[in-house]
Amino acid sequence: MNGKMTDLMNIVKEAEIIDDPAVIESFAHGYRGDVPMRPMFMVKPKNTDEVQKIVRWANETCTPLVPVSSGAPHLRGGTVPTAPGSVIVDLSGMDRIVKVDRRNRLALIEPGVTYTTLGPELKRHGLRIAMPLLPRKNKSVLTSLLEREPVVSPRYQWNMMEPLRALEIIWGNGDKFYSGGGVFRGEKEEDWKRGLVPVWGPGPGQLDFYKFVSAAQGSMGIVTWASVKCEVYPECRKLFFVPADRLEEAIEFVYLLLRYRFGDELFLMNKSCLAYVHARNADELESVKDTLPSWAVVVGITGGHILSKDRVEAREKDIRDIARGFGLKFIPQLRSLSGKEFGERIMRPCEEPYWKSRYSGEVQEVFFLTTLDRTPGFVAAMNEEADGLEYPAERIGVYLQPVHQGVGCHCEFIIPFDPDSRMDTRKTEELIRKSSLRLSDQGAFFSRPYGIWADMVYDRDAGTKTATKKIKEIFDPNNVMNPGKLCF
Amino acid sequence: MALPANVYKDLEDIVGSRNISGDPAVLDSYRYSLAHTAIHLGPFFDTFTPRGACVLLPGSTEEVRAIVELCNKHKIKFKASSTFWSAQGFPSEDDTIQLDMRRMDRILDIDKKNMFAVIEPGVIGATLQAEVMKVGLNTHIPGSGCSCSTLASATSYFGSGPSNLYGGWHYDNLLGLEWVMPTGEILRTGSLGQGCGWFCGEGPGPSMKGVARGFLGSKGSMGVYTKCAIKLFAWPGPECLPVEGTIPAYRTPLPDNFKAYTVAFPSWKAWADAAYAIWDAGIGYLAHRQFNMFGRDLKFAMVKILTDPTKTLSDLEELLADPEVQEITEQSKREFQIILVGMTKRDIEWQKKAFDEILERTGGWKVEAMDEPHIHDWVLLYMIRLGHKNLNLVFGGGYDGCFGLLGAADYGASNAEEAALFKKKWEKRGAIVDAGGDCMMGPIGGQGGGGTCLWENFTCFDSADRESTEGTFEFFDACTRFGLEKGWGVGMEKWNAVARGPDGKTTSKKKRDTIHLGSPQPSVFRYQHRVREAFNPNDLGDAYYETLDDT
Ligand SMILES: Cc1cc2nc3c(=O)[nH]c(=O)nc-3n(C[C@H](O)[C@H](O)[C@H](O)COP(=O)(O)OP(=O)(O)OC[C@H]3O[C@@H](n4cnc5c(N)ncnc54)[C@H](O)[C@@H]3O)c2cc1C
Repeated sequence: MNGKMTDLMNIVKEAEIIDDPAVIESFAHGYRGDVPMRPMFMVKPKNTDEVQKIVRWANETCTPLVPVSSGAPHLRGGTVPTAPGSVIVDLSGMDRIVKVDRRNRLALIEPGVTYTTLGPELKRHGLRIAMPLLPRKNKSVLTSLLEREPVVSPRYQWNMMEPLRALEIIWGNGDKFYSGGGVFRGEKEEDWKRGLVPVWGPGPGQLDFYKFVSAAQGSMGIVTWASVKCEVYPECRKLFFVPADRLEEAIEFVYLLLRYRFGDELFLMNKSCLAYVHARNADELESVKDTLPSWAVVVGITGGHILSKDRVEAREKDIRDIARGFGLKFIPQLRSLSGKEFGERIMRPCEEPYWKSRYSGEVQEVFFLTTLDRTPGFVAAMNEEADGLEYPAERIGVYLQPVHQGVGCHCEFIIPFDPDSRMDTRKTEELIRKSSLRLSDQGAFFSRPYGIWADMVYDRDAGTKTATKKIKEIFDPNNVMNPGKLCF
Repeated sequence: MALPANVYKDLEDIVGSRNISGDPAVLDSYRYSLAHTAIHLGPFFDTFTPRGACVLLPGSTEEVRAIVELCNKHKIKFKASSTFWSAQGFPSEDDTIQLDMRRMDRILDIDKKNMFAVIEPGVIGATLQAEVMKVGLNTHIPGSGCSCSTLASATSYFGSGPSNLYGGWHYDNLLGLEWVMPTGEILRTGSLGQGCGWFCGEGPGPSMKGVARGFLGSKGSMGVYTKCAIKLFAWPGPECLPVEGTIPAYRTPLPDNFKAYTVAFPSWKAWADAAYAIWDAGIGYLAHRQFNMFGRDLKFAMVKILTDPTKTLSDLEELLADPEVQEITEQSKREFQIILVGMTKRDIEWQKKAFDEILERTGGWKVEAMDEPHIHDWVLLYMIRLGHKNLNLVFGGGYDGCFGLLGAADYGASNAEEAALFKKKWEKRGAIVDAGGDCMMGPIGGQGGGGTCLWENFTCFDSADRESTEGTFEFFDACTRFGLEKGWGVGMEKWNAVARGPDGKTTSKKKRDTIHLGSPQPSVFRYQHRVREAFNPNDLGDAYYETLDDT
């Protein structure tokens, strides 16, 4: 046991400290050009006080901290230490659902709360939360939202941070802070009764504090609880597909649904992506794939708690009429793929194995923001890059998720590879590198810059880079929070 | 003090001689009374904001940048305003350079598919709305009305109003932003900075838009915003609002997919229940407690006057004595206005049914008198366009808001009655308009999709009357004390007073520090101080950017 470990143990007596080599090693996987570093050890705080003590200790001892809330494996490299001597702060043990308030449709959750635990609890209160597409079972709700992962229901996204609202933050400098309402912290039961609830996301004041910890890969501070906005759990719901031979054929239809805010879940997928969601294993995959259309729009319709059936019926008829107007079909079943089953599946976290890795065992992703009308150009570019590298383009899953009520669109390429094949791994890495640069040149906005994307985006925009560094200097002056990430 | 001749000359070289003035008469027209939400000028309300050093009308981002660089060189404070609707847009320090942004008034793009527009500061809500309606879109217009700059409210202040519910508040709607920072450097946020278009203001990584605007904006104290993209929303109505009628009773007859209701409830609890149910059901396009701004006992009589071109304010007394008016007034004590808009026929039918169901469940009712066609269509125009701002001042020429309870529906609903009764004393002695019950107004759904309300108590007075003016000041002081006592915090009657004292100039540091130290989380202001030091090292703004030193 090293000296630092003993020091920390004396400070956070209750927290578990782990230096099991197997655990430590699991964090030291290189990611897209990052040089992997073995963390020193891992600490598992149980409450905000302990988190604060850990951060203060890190400042005193200049120890890099890497906060982690979700369980392994960590796909995007945000939790791979990029500085020597790092300590992993594992928040998965802070997993209380502190409060669910049906009337204000708010839940207060700690970082270790996963979609697996939150969903059923919300349902008990007649609520649900807009989810990302098939998150891992052990994915932290809080970090998914902090990292601005898109959710499948763009109509509930009033801004890019939704449904995230107020936060309790321990900044890198060790300060405890409440973002959002600030005054309305939701700590006391009587406050909830009086309507003093943490319903605001922005602020308080003239800075937007929660935006500084968003998509920061743990480099600004540690969030110890968050309030999240929920939706009514629908009494009835249906899911439909709108198949299309070409992506362009579906786009105008989707735009109209977005404009009307029809469709509670609304996204597009290519054949491979649909198959990855649908098939349980690689064998099933190929046979499923052959039966599917090149593209499909997925449209969920839900009734809330008032005249639920009437709402679903009216929407179904309207959307069918709209689809017809574009010469498209609006159907509840795509060959072997039933809307009902698909709908149920996307309301829950993903069963193992993780859907994106079902094909070859591992996966890399390229994702960015754009507008829906520009997506065909990006798909064509990615296919060309794949062809150029002799990577089978038909393997690439494409997931297009409108965000912020349709103003933007998350465009994601899912690129499976076989980790046991050096050739496949190399090709995939090359494809990620080359396509990222090309897509960026073509106008793709890599708003969540993991791994190699960080240099790419910050080199393009000196103004943002300088401003971001100034903010970092204020909230984490000793650069103890996940150093080496982004432009720090 | 006039600007040194060489500085004036340099500024003139930047904007051209037609776009600069140091003429005292012109500069005096760029002064304002000290009120937060309205201008009150009169013999007994005659304190103005300080006279500027000169006023400039820049025509481009490059000109703004050059001005700001020059201000840094000479350490001169500057303040930009776009439509100048409240005191925060005017200097609070002597010798400040005023930037009037009205020349930059272009709508640079309307992206119909992706539903946003790119605008300059001088674009007002009315113009933007008229233009985007042509392509089936609409823009959120804050409660200050359609003659205000959309960019100013989206970037620099608040942005609450009737269309928050469906259209989002301006915080939600601000996308890419071009910002001439206080040092003169230009920051383009989100996708814009990457050269990828205007559609996203956040990122890459932690969002630097958060430096420009938080819950509130920087109120002209942290540089100049020169362009922004604003999110729009569907307008399933005609390309141009049809307007009929005779002034002031203009109305807009719209197709059947538009329906305006005034609904009332037996208790505040039921009122709040309805708000929550509306948000849960996801219905409604605009929702505001609007006409209660005239006062609970006066509102229906006022609506009668305003929708009948033969009537004037002098008919008020007679109308108030009319038993029919009295009955409707009684019915509509705890009411609000809501406009349902269907994207399709089925959509409006479902929304209407759902709304009826909500009324059934909460014990609410529709105020039938507000459904008379000429009133109904007047309400539609009022709420959609928000072009009736003169009516804020209709009674005595002076008005201001107080309390301004902001939070979940239950929060305001459980305090409204108490706040309302508090004003009785000042009503009785004739200082403020005797409106009977409460004068609380504000959005039912202060942010996109609902969840919050704002309760602003309208206070109408006569700024040409000493007793009324002084009584109102006294009332506002009492409101602040009462608000603090009740734990509601300092009300909106004093939001302006943190930064600016009764002489029109920056409040003393001691006073500001006391206020900030007494706040629930003083570190907010400490961080703002550090941000100001990092982004505005020469401190060329004013105390409207609220800071607290570290020591
Ligand atoms: C009668 C009345 C009612 C109101 N009601 C509401 C309401 O319901 N909801 C609400 O949110 N607000 C309200 N306000 C407050 C405020 O006036 C509004 O938010 C308004 O929309 C902003 O427009 P403005 O004309 O005041 O802008 P301006 O006076 O031009 O500016 C507002 C602030 O932004 C700064 N600013 C303006 N342009 C720029 C720029 N280009 N760069 C940098 N800073 C800039 C100014 O210095 C000022 O501090 C009301 C005001 C009045 C007078």
